[in-house]
Amino acid sequence: MTPFLHINGIRKTYGPVVATDHVELSIAEGEFMTFLGPSGSGKSTTLYILAGFQDPTAGDIRLRGQSILQTPSHKRNIGMVFQRYTLFPHLSVGENVAFPLRVRRMGQDEIAQKVKRALSLVRLDGFEDRMPAKMSGGQQQRVALARALVYDPPVLLMDEPLSALDKKLREEIQFEIRRVHQETGVTILYVTHDQEEALRLSDRIAIFNKGKIEQVGTGPELYANPATHFVADFIGDSAFLAGELAGVAQGRAGLRFADGSTVAAVPLHGQGMAGQAAELMLRPERIELTPEAGPEGASLPVTVEDLTFLGNNTTVSARTGWGAALTVRLNFGHPLAARIARGDKLHIRWAPEAAHAFVKG
Amino acid sequence: MFSAAAPRRGSGLGFAMPAILLLAAFFVIPVVFLLTRSVTEPQLGLQNYAALVGSSTYAKVFFNTFFVAGVVTLVTVLIAFPVAWALAIMPARWSAVVFAIILLSMWTNLLARTYAWMVLLQQTGLINRMLKAIGLIDQPLQLTNNLVGVTIGMVYIMLPFMILPLLGVIKKIDPAILQAAALCGATKWQALTRVLVPLATPGIASGALMVFVMSLGYFVTPSLLGGTANMMLAELIAQQVQSLVNWGMGGAAAFLLLLVTLGLYAVQLRFLDRKEAA
Repeated sequence: MTPFLHINGIRKTYGPVVATDHVELSIAEGEFMTFLGPSGSGKSTTLYILAGFQDPTAGDIRLRGQSILQTPSHKRNIGMVFQRYTLFPHLSVGENVAFPLRVRRMGQDEIAQKVKRALSLVRLDGFEDRMPAKMSGGQQQRVALARALVYDPPVLLMDEPLSALDKKLREEIQFEIRRVHQETGVTILYVTHDQEEALRLSDRIAIFNKGKIEQVGTGPELYANPATHFVADFIGDSAFLAGELAGVAQGRAGLRFADGSTVAAVPLHGQGMAGQAAELMLRPERIELTPEAGPEGASLPVTVEDLTFLGNNTTVSARTGWGAALTVRLNFGHPLAARIARGDKLHIRWAPEAAHAFVKG
Repeated sequence: MFSAAAPRRGSGLGFAMPAILLLAAFFVIPVVFLLTRSVTEPQLGLQNYAALVGSSTYAKVFFNTFFVAGVVTLVTVLIAFPVAWALAIMPARWSAVVFAIILLSMWTNLLARTYAWMVLLQQTGLINRMLKAIGLIDQPLQLTNNLVGVTIGMVYIMLPFMILPLLGVIKKIDPAILQAAALCGATKWQALTRVLVPLATPGIASGALMVFVMSLGYFVTPSLLGGTANMMLAELIAQQVQSLVNWGMGGAAAFLLLLVTLGLYAVQLRFLDRKEAA
C-alpha cells in the first residue's frame, strides 16, 4: 500500500557539508510523528524540505503517492507553525487567521465562519480584533496554530514551536496540541530537541543524529529497545560501562571489564566478535541494589560513593570494581535507603532484557 | 520619595542649548526676517503672495516643483525598495560593500555628480550613443534642459535618503514571516503587497517625506539639468533674490515652501501617531 507521506531517501548537502543523508520514513495519515535530535542533526532541514524552503540534493517526498518537490511552497497546501512567532504584526488575530483564506480568494461569509471555528479550536474565541503584539507568547503560538489549520492542510509541520516559551506554558500548550491533534486528525510532523516533549506528544519518534535517522519507533519501543548507543543515550539517562566482548552467540553477548569481572547473555546491538570494544548500557531505574551478589552474569559488585535524597527517590552514585561511575535509584521507602552509607560494598543486579550491549564502532 | 532615582525629563535641555541657540540665530531669525520682507516690500500687504498664487508663470513653477518632487519620490521608492530588501537579506560581507558604495556616492561632491549626469545625458552623451548603438532610437533623445533630465539626476541623488530609512525597517522584519506567508498560500506578489509593503510602510513614509521635501527645495540639479525654461521653486527664489533683488517675492516663495514642508511633516506625525496608537 502506498504510504500517506513518504520521505524517500532525502539527501541534502551544502558544499562538502552533509545536512541529511538518505532520510527514509513513511508516515501514516493522522499520525503524530516527531523528529527528535540535537541541533544540526538534520531534523529541521528535513522539515524545511517538506515545507519547500529548501530543495533536496537527492531523494523524493510523496504525499498520497504524488511527488510534491516540484510544487512551490505556496501551492503545497501544508500548514506550519514556526519556532518564533511569525504572525503578521500589522494584522489583527482574525485577519492573521483569515490570511490563508483571503489569498485563496474565498468568500467573505465562508472566511468569517472558518476563522471563528479555527479560533474556537485553539480556545481563543472572541480574540478576532486583538493585535498579536498585545498577546502573550502562548496565545500568539495558538493563533499561529489556528492560522496553520484554518485551510485544513493534510499535513501540519511544527518546528520547535514551544522553544520560546517558559516551562509551565510549554506544558499547557503541549496539552493543547495533543487535543487539537485528536480533534482534527491532522497528520503532524513535529521537530524538537526535547525528549520529554517528544515522548509526551508523539505516536512515533524518529531519532536524528548527524543527518541520519538512527531509529524510528514509539516512545516505549525506543526506551526499551534502543538500536544504537546514541538512541540509548538520548532517550532516558543511562550509564555506559566500557569493556570488551567476551563471546557472541545468537544476538547475545558476554562482556569482560577491566578488573576481570564479566556479565553474560546481554542483548547485543551491532555486529561484533570476541575481543572487540563494547559498552554495557544500564538504566538507573532498572537496576537493583542488593547486599548479596545476584545471579551469575547479571550482577556486578559496586561501592557506594554518594547518596542524594530527591523526595520521591534516593539517587545512589556508585562505582564498579574498575572505577566506572553509575547511578541507581531507590524509590522512597526502599528498605536499603536508610541502611546504606558511603563506602558500603554492595551489588547491582538486573533482569537480562534490561541491559543492552553496543559494539563500539 | 523616589524622585532622586527617577530620571528627570527636563535635564537634557542644557545639553541641547547650543543647538537651540544656533537654530534661533541662523534659522528662526532669518525666517522671521524673510517673512517680514515678504509682506512689507515693496509695500505693506500680501501683494507678493497674491502675485505668486495668481500668475500663470509662477503657477507653472509650482507645478514643475511639485510634479518633479512627486515623480522623483515615486521612482525613488520603486528603485530603493528592492535595493533595501536585497541589502537586508544579502550576506553581511556583501551588503557592507554595497552599503559603502551607496555612502560613497552620497559623499561625492554634488556638483561633480550633476555635471557627470550632464555628460551622460547630453545629445552626444553615453546614454544616447548606447541607445543608438543597440538600435532603440534613430535620433538622440532630449534628456537635458528639461524635466526628464532633472528627474533622472534627482532620483539618483535622492536614492540613499530612501534606501537608509527603508533598510532600517526592512532589517527588522523576520524573514520567517515571508516563509509563513508562502506556506499560507500567498504568491510572491501577495506576500509583497499584503505583508512586506505594509510592514515597511513606516520606512516608506519617512523616506518619501524626506525625499519629497528635499526635492521641493533642490537647487543645483534642477538648475544644471533643467535649464531656464523649466524653472523650479528654488531657482525662482534664487532668481528673485540674486538677479532681480526682489526680496519680497523671493521671501514669499521661500516662506510658502517652508509652510508646505511643515504641513507635510505635521501630516506624517499624525500618521505615525495613529500607527503607534493602533
